[in-house]
Amino acid sequence: MTLNRLGRALVTTLLLTSALAGCGGGSGDDTDRIRVVYQRYGTGIQLDQHLQQVKKTFEQDNPGTEIELVPVVAPENEYLSKVQLMLRSPRTAPDVLYEDSYNVNADVAAGYLHPLDDQLHGWPEWNQFVETTKQAGRAVDGRIYGVPMGTDTRGLWFNKRLFTEAGLPTDWQPKTWAEVLDTARTIKEKHPDVIALDVPAGKPVGEAAAMQTMEMLLYGTPTADLYNEQSERWVAPSAGFTDALRFVREVFREGLGPTPAQVADPQYSKSTKEELTRDGKIAIRLDGSWLPGNWIPGGMVEWPDWVEVMGMAPMPTQHGQPPGKVSLSGGWVLSISAHSQNKHGAFAFLTKALDREGSLAYAIAASQLPVRRDVAGDPKLAERNPSTAFWAGLLDITRYRPTLVEYPKVSEEIQVAMDRVVNGADPEQAGREWAVRVRQVVGPDRVEEG
Amino acid sequence: MTRRRVAAALANLVLAGIALVFAAPLLWLLTTSVDAAAGLRVQVPDLTGQHFASVLAWESGGRALWNGVLLSGGAALVTMVAATFCAYPLSRYQLRFRRPFLYTVLFATGLPLTAVMVPVYSLFVRFNLIDSRLAVLVFLAAASLPFAIWMTKNFMDGVPIELEEAAWVDGASPMRALGTVVLPLMLPGMAVVAIFTFILAWGNFFVPFILLLDPAKQPAAVNVLTYFGQAGLVTYGQLAAYSIVYTVPVVGLYLVVSRALGGAFSLTGAVKA
Amino acid sequence: MRRRRPGVFAWLPPMVPTFLLLGLFFIGPILWAAYTAFTNAALSGPAARDPEFVGWENFRRALHDPNLANAVWLTVLFTFGSAVIGQNCLGMLLAVLMQRRNQVIRAIVGMLVVAAWVLPEIVAAFALYAFLSGDGTLNAVLTTLGMEGQNWLFTAPMLAIILGNVWRGTAFSMLIYQAALSDVDVELLEAAQVDGAGPLRRFWHVVLPIVRRTVMTNLMLITLQTIGVFTLIYVLTSGGPGTASQTLPLLMYDRAFEFGEIAYGTAIAFVLLGVGALFSAIYARALRAEV
Repeated sequence: MTLNRLGRALVTTLLLTSALAGCGGGSGDDTDRIRVVYQRYGTGIQLDQHLQQVKKTFEQDNPGTEIELVPVVAPENEYLSKVQLMLRSPRTAPDVLYEDSYNVNADVAAGYLHPLDDQLHGWPEWNQFVETTKQAGRAVDGRIYGVPMGTDTRGLWFNKRLFTEAGLPTDWQPKTWAEVLDTARTIKEKHPDVIALDVPAGKPVGEAAAMQTMEMLLYGTPTADLYNEQSERWVAPSAGFTDALRFVREVFREGLGPTPAQVADPQYSKSTKEELTRDGKIAIRLDGSWLPGNWIPGGMVEWPDWVEVMGMAPMPTQHGQPPGKVSLSGGWVLSISAHSQNKHGAFAFLTKALDREGSLAYAIAASQLPVRRDVAGDPKLAERNPSTAFWAGLLDITRYRPTLVEYPKVSEEIQVAMDRVVNGADPEQAGREWAVRVRQVVGPDRVEEG
Repeated sequence: MTRRRVAAALANLVLAGIALVFAAPLLWLLTTSVDAAAGLRVQVPDLTGQHFASVLAWESGGRALWNGVLLSGGAALVTMVAATFCAYPLSRYQLRFRRPFLYTVLFATGLPLTAVMVPVYSLFVRFNLIDSRLAVLVFLAAASLPFAIWMTKNFMDGVPIELEEAAWVDGASPMRALGTVVLPLMLPGMAVVAIFTFILAWGNFFVPFILLLDPAKQPAAVNVLTYFGQAGLVTYGQLAAYSIVYTVPVVGLYLVVSRALGGAFSLTGAVKA
Repeated sequence: MRRRRPGVFAWLPPMVPTFLLLGLFFIGPILWAAYTAFTNAALSGPAARDPEFVGWENFRRALHDPNLANAVWLTVLFTFGSAVIGQNCLGMLLAVLMQRRNQVIRAIVGMLVVAAWVLPEIVAAFALYAFLSGDGTLNAVLTTLGMEGQNWLFTAPMLAIILGNVWRGTAFSMLIYQAALSDVDVELLEAAQVDGAGPLRRFWHVVLPIVRRTVMTNLMLITLQTIGVFTLIYVLTSGGPGTASQTLPLLMYDRAFEFGEIAYGTAIAFVLLGVGALFSAIYARALRAEV
């Protein structure tokens, strides 16, 4: 009697709630369905639009196949965590995923990704991809796990109006770090309320602080390396790393850069910085080729004048030693999950998204540097974004981050060291402690002094 | 007499001060939600209804709100029923494990859910429950069950046992007595439990974010992120407008509870040890 | 008043749904998490494919992790400052002051305090962020008063999150104490007043002993709620600058999801549970001593 009543109550509740919640449950093993996971957050809207477009044409060309777009609305770190969780199991793994090239090795080691070499072999257009950019999707085992969507280079942006007011040349091309700092000091004297030299820093920007500031500096020192490919060892501690920290120290101690409070503020890097740039409150930015994407119509802060106001210069090496300039490149790739039940269809979708037309459309919309030769020369690119030629010119000397499993962890340690220096720590000490942490992360037999 | 009046004036002054401090951060939500030039500080708004219009559209906001109602409402229902059944023996029988059980339950209310999210994720994957709203609903119910049991048991203690004894004398089983005598008297308490669970589930961001994949199934809590992402001036307005829309059901439910029970009473029963 | 020691068939069936729900979705994952803490499980990299059993390694590492020591200290500080002192005392103050005030004042003050509490956490957090940030309302007010504003979230991150949590959570204590105070016999208070006891003495010697059990229970509840606070701090400071406001839940999230070190993050979660258990034990003892 008691049990009966209870049972009935339970069943009723469950029925009721399941009716309420609709049928959830399995996503189904339909092989004619291709699931594509990507990030839709902030400036990533262009990617969403691009994939929507590809989905439409792909479904028209391949009747019976359904593309299921699964955007993840979250900041980058959360996006990566969530995708890695999804990749763990065949039940949740997508077919195609949008992947930061710096995670490729770790995800390959985890068994998440499917090697594409055989399929790429049968894709004639693969030859159109610039050789250096193919590195982005190549893992340590030498195989390709991702096709680059676009790439970028890094250097200095500067506000020509502020330069003129401070009596500085508008065709500024600094030859050494000292010259960069001196110029910033001149600006600061003339315009105390302006951020003279902005460099990405702080926890909120994450990887950007490590790559765009620390590694841009480190690769311009005589040490010039974070990882020695010949000896297969991480270079820590190194004189170059400490010098890079010293540079950071000077920027922040002298108040040339953003205030430590701005550095700690998640909103600063997300939006405030773009507004300040537009309003002429930032003189020099160590930043990337993609910035015009924020300024063109439809961007975060629409700013038609940027073409006249903003100048570009390569980031010099420390003492002007050859090759005289530094750039780092990253970029996102499209990959196929190792668990995909429909790798053939997934590859077809991937190549559709990155064929000539697709690459061009995406490069224009997302202000990416083109990775295909047949796209690079397209006049539509230059028309939309006159800075493309300058940034693409850096592709010759640009470098990629070490594509190793430990890289993300080493990078986190770089961020920690830099953040401490930003907040006043001694560069030598921070450099030493960083080396100790790196040794713990990669193992004592995999480091060398530099 | 004057001393008393001074004291009263002082008390009112302090209260007014506290009220002002508590109101200040809230004010930003109100002004910004209708301000075409929304920023980070409270300012006289350049009035617009556009933010509300855009966040209420089905695709961008409405659907997520509806998902939130389904998830939280379902969780509240499941929790309420399970907690009521569970509280009955705890309140009415002399059980040897009662005290340890209750303390464990109380302790469990403080568990950080984030800590178990990875195991929970693995569990969901193993049983093919990822992306199932029903499963997320049940998990949210389970997560708020400890607090619900604790509250329900205390409410039930407040119902005099003599009433039931009369029913037993008439030959009713304990469950029948529960249904016919105790429950009607406890309905307000059960409503409080359900509403608490609803509020907890409604505010939970991390659980649905991890366990649901399809953006069309995500509830309101996760959808808030949409407005963090798109930087620029416009989105503060949308963020504030969405926050208000997102908050209204919770405030409404709270008002229902406090209106029906008198805000204070609802909690006395709940936390007396 | 309890009936008798019942047979298993009397008490078990009604509790079955609870046991099922909690066992499957609560205790199961916790046990699993306990196991994970002894492996090197990770989100990516080789350890994601084949997690290995590593024994006490994660806890050994935790013992020597300066970030963890820092986080434990900040968690205790945060809990003590915002719950034990802030919410608890302010809640009591409000409850006492609101006694015998007129209906309108009670309603308005109560409504505002409760509003901060019923807001979904992420909304409350962002409202606070907008209030405290460099461009925020607080600085605007200070500037009009002729004072220098500053970025509170950066210069005083712990103070900011503690005050934030007081703002957000005081309502709970206030409601409980309002209820408890309404149980205090007015005649007792009047008798004390006749004896010449001032308001403070009356509160200390008459009211407090009566509501003491409620205070203890409330302390236990708000403490447990507070040590697990994540979203509020995450939105306000993300644990920064550096690790200046990185409490245990933030550290756990950082390790488990940003660094992808699931196992180590889970080990930290158990440290968090330990801190909670410690607080609970203290309160439970205090309660038992009462009985």
